[in-house]
Amino acid sequence: MTDTTASPSEAQAAPADLPRNPPQRALPLNRELAGVWANDRGIWGQITSVSHTTLGLRFMATALVFFAIGGILAMLIRAQLATPDGAFLDTELYNQIFTMHGSIMMFLFAIPMLEGLGIWLLPKMLGTRDMAFPRLTALGYWCYLFGGLIMLTALLFGVAPRDGWFMYTPLSSSAYSPGINADVWLLGVTFVEISAVAAAVEITVTILRQRAPGMKLTEMPLFAWYMLGTSAMMLVGFPPLIAASVLLELERAFDWPFFDPLRGGDPLLWQHLFWLFGHPEVYIIFLPAAGALSTIIPVMCRTRILGYGAIVAAVLGLVFLSFGLWVHHMFTVGIPHMALAFFSAASVLVAVPTAVQVFAWIGTMWKGRPELHLPMYHILGFFLTFVLGGLTGVMLAIVPFNWQAHDTAFVTAHLHYVLIGGFVFPMMAAITYWMPLVTGKARVRGVGEAAFWVILIGFHGTFFVMHLTGLLGMPRRIDVYPDNPEWIWLNLTSSFFGFVMTIGFAMFALDMLLQVTLGTRARRDPWRAPTLDWAMPLPAPSFNFSSLPTARHLDRPASEVMLELACGDGALPGAPRGQREFLVTSVGAARPDHVAHLPGNTSLPFALSSSIGVFVLLVLWQLYLLAGMALVPVAVLIWVWGRGLAPRGPLQPIEIAPGVTLPVHHQARQSLGQSGLVAFLVANAALFASVLFGLAFLSVVTQGPAPPPAMIDTSRIAWATGLIAGAQLLGMALSRGGAPVWAALGLCANAVALIALLAGIVPVLDDPTAHARDALRAAMAAYVGLHLLVACGMAAFVLDQYRRGEITEQIRGAWAPWRLWQDFTSITTLVTILALIAQKGGA
Amino acid sequence: MRCRILSATLLLAGCGGPLSTLAPSGPVAAEIAWLWWAMLAGAGVITLFVLGLLALAFGRPRETSTRRWTHGLGLWFSLGVLTLLLGAGLVVGERILPRDDGAVTVRAHAFQWGWSFTHEGADGAPVESAGLMHIPAGQPVDILITSEDVIHSFWVPRLAGKMDAIPGRTNRLRLIADSPGVYAGLCAEFCGRGHAGMRFDVQAHADWPPENWPPEPERGRQ
Amino acid sequence: MKWLWWVLAGPTLWAVVFVAVYSAHGAVCAPIPGPEGLTTGARLLLIGIWILGVVAFWPLLRAVPTGTGRAARLPRWGAWIGFFATVFTLFPVVFTTSC
Repeated sequence: MTDTTASPSEAQAAPADLPRNPPQRALPLNRELAGVWANDRGIWGQITSVSHTTLGLRFMATALVFFAIGGILAMLIRAQLATPDGAFLDTELYNQIFTMHGSIMMFLFAIPMLEGLGIWLLPKMLGTRDMAFPRLTALGYWCYLFGGLIMLTALLFGVAPRDGWFMYTPLSSSAYSPGINADVWLLGVTFVEISAVAAAVEITVTILRQRAPGMKLTEMPLFAWYMLGTSAMMLVGFPPLIAASVLLELERAFDWPFFDPLRGGDPLLWQHLFWLFGHPEVYIIFLPAAGALSTIIPVMCRTRILGYGAIVAAVLGLVFLSFGLWVHHMFTVGIPHMALAFFSAASVLVAVPTAVQVFAWIGTMWKGRPELHLPMYHILGFFLTFVLGGLTGVMLAIVPFNWQAHDTAFVTAHLHYVLIGGFVFPMMAAITYWMPLVTGKARVRGVGEAAFWVILIGFHGTFFVMHLTGLLGMPRRIDVYPDNPEWIWLNLTSSFFGFVMTIGFAMFALDMLLQVTLGTRARRDPWRAPTLDWAMPLPAPSFNFSSLPTARHLDRPASEVMLELACGDGALPGAPRGQREFLVTSVGAARPDHVAHLPGNTSLPFALSSSIGVFVLLVLWQLYLLAGMALVPVAVLIWVWGRGLAPRGPLQPIEIAPGVTLPVHHQARQSLGQSGLVAFLVANAALFASVLFGLAFLSVVTQGPAPPPAMIDTSRIAWATGLIAGAQLLGMALSRGGAPVWAALGLCANAVALIALLAGIVPVLDDPTAHARDALRAAMAAYVGLHLLVACGMAAFVLDQYRRGEITEQIRGAWAPWRLWQDFTSITTLVTILALIAQKGGA
Repeated sequence: MRCRILSATLLLAGCGGPLSTLAPSGPVAAEIAWLWWAMLAGAGVITLFVLGLLALAFGRPRETSTRRWTHGLGLWFSLGVLTLLLGAGLVVGERILPRDDGAVTVRAHAFQWGWSFTHEGADGAPVESAGLMHIPAGQPVDILITSEDVIHSFWVPRLAGKMDAIPGRTNRLRLIADSPGVYAGLCAEFCGRGHAGMRFDVQAHADWPPENWPPEPERGRQ
Repeated sequence: MKWLWWVLAGPTLWAVVFVAVYSAHGAVCAPIPGPEGLTTGARLLLIGIWILGVVAFWPLLRAVPTGTGRAARLPRWGAWIGFFATVFTLFPVVFTTSC
């Protein structure tokens, strides 16, 4: 059986493999690594853990708890709608509950669940020992947890958001949503999104630079391709939401009228920015699930995936096309038919790459011999559900039909088909597939299969009839329908089966619980899989591999590979230097480049996210002065974070295999940190582009009242602007230097620009509350100011490294990150200046 | 008729109802309903096809051409179906758009939580009404939709699709009622506490403009 | 790494053309209040941008390299994806009611 899964890859020159390391005894090797990689003991150990296994599982477990909470909220909704005059909830509470149901499922279940899966699985599958930035993983988790807790607490106290999960303005503006309900959403979700950006950055870097030596980009497991697509989309897709949330929070807190039509703002700007995030979001959720399917289906069918290249191309197509669909959520806002047609065509076209994948999966099943294990049940559930959801999705992409179906129960049905079909069923397949690796135990038979059937019947019973409910005219988000007896039986059916589905999910939870408590020991590599995630003992140890897999370990039965790796055959065996280490490889061919030393257990991520949490809470309580002061500890902790990267002790090149010696990452030309900063700057650029889009949209499309005449003192603005531009050009040049004096001058240049901004421009800006134009100018000045401040900090950090003697001929310290940041800051500053000049000329 | 047969076979209670998009009462809504039945039929066939392929997978392993799956079915089959569908959708969309053809216009103004309508009276003076809109039957009517406060959405399912009422903008929606009568409408975009109750009616009149404002509610009812 | 840039080239070109036509449409339509649309000149401008975008795929399709491995032809596929998407998503520029 294994011969089909283990056939060598297509004929081609195998890259030179690393030599074998001498065999060692497995147990001592294991113990040595465990000593270095283990979490601290007890509860404190949970707080200080930076392990991808611990945190990935915790992400997923927390997400499942939120899934249960969101599910309970859904049951409250269904209880209310079971009868036309439901008096179960009052309208205010009902609005909070459906808003929280959507927000929890999207932001606190689906996204963290896929992040958790990626964080937990990718290092195992790629053959490395941890994610690129372990402390960032932990920071992301705590931000997620604290943001989620803020939202839940608000629900308990009856002040949860109540404007629908997409928070349309002006309903969510302070005039129509007084109180902190909307602020809870804006601040809570943005807080949680820190974890999304963090995860996206490190997933990108991990996939591109930590693959096992010889695992070429063009040959890596499909799951990695899917996650690479997902993380790229998150880097570009989340910033518009963050930008929109910040702008709306500024409007609510300080009355800056970005979305107020009476003062030059536009409610549609919110919709554009929200859906610019919101539609890619759907594919961000679907892609990891599809990646799990592409991994599991061939294993369940004892074959290899059919059409590897076509699937990667489909992922590529989805990643891009999904950014050209967002307006299909806005077909009824009065956009001209030609523009609707572009987005309708793109929405239709995006079904093609999806179809390519679906048919490739079915073809894989034809090619192989499907075996009906439990994951396969859920995969069949996926096919049935997702195909229907995809087809209704195509229907909704057709403009005239959308005009009827938009905002009705039909859309509710469609999105549940897509999200439960395209995410929850594959996730259940993934959970049942990888559970032995988590627990080391085999499943207790029976409950899982029963749970599947109950969920499947409950799901389709709930949502199939809901299509008709919508076509019969029932809009979303209503709590009573006394005048429409024709909807009663439909809603009652949905409610009844909704409870059936809930029972099914409870049974699924019970199945997992039974596996953890009563399961017998699982045998190694229980599915006879060809991927590296199974080439380790069960349950997975904290360090994954005793020695790191290389080219000769790829694409072979995992059980064989495991024995070799456990005896130190692979690269970088054990932890002889008492450090957490893994290999960093080149992007394309995965040639070994250097060895990364990782930070160990630390409470710093917990402290930093707590201090961000304090800031968020102070803003929520409208104590803006204190909130500003709360940023000081945040900045200090970020500095400490950077200090933690300093090398500990003298740096010796490391022999990873006989005769192969690599430098440590401090001496590397292109470290993981630099790659991570580039990824972060991509996200930052997307944020900046979102604001520029807002500027263009409000200047060109919005037909609001003209802005009051600018009161700006032009000559003063001119010299301040010139000074900033000059200082930034100088800063770019200085950050290319390499001596303390350059760093000192760079600090001065950035400080001069900052002072010119604060003293020359900020005092003469027009009142930002007067008109959206002035508000946007103020917001852009704040963006530039923040970046200049960080650039000052980074130049100062380099100076500090010189003072401590940490920068030498070979170790370049923070020069490279500063240069990257300086270039970004200088360019965005200059672009801002040009954009504002252009807007002034156009107005 | 088609609707009756289908619903009977599906053992559904029916496609009727005052807010049913499947019981159109004018050409705009009828074209969209037609589109729906066509898409439903196509979707049904495709679903059966895909599930059939899936069922056939449970057998002996067999040699199968990769390109047939990824290119034949995945790319060309889906692209063909989708091109056809997109074309149909765009043509229908073009046919039901408002045009500059001197159609009767009525203003619909949404607020939390209700509707006020402004018609052009017989003498050209504006005539207002709340909760009940008057239109001529048998000819195109353009509704100019505005909002007082938050975003609402104007929807009379049996006559046309919906169009949002957005503060700061005026949106235009064309609807046509085949015959005189009263048609139910509602706010489709969530707009706060009173959203569920934000209903209105549209009365289509045989003779237009009506001689007396406000027209008698019973007039023209079938 | 360079290979990866080639992979992104095709879809990125689509994105650029899509944004260009969509923004040009927004800009020329913004001052027109009624349901009827553009002057012929403005429509020809949009069509021109579209055609230019489609034609730009010609050199790209000729230049894309291949690599090794199972997804070696990805840059070429990326270029075709971009080409199809440019043709398919923007062809309504020819006939739909514009403003």
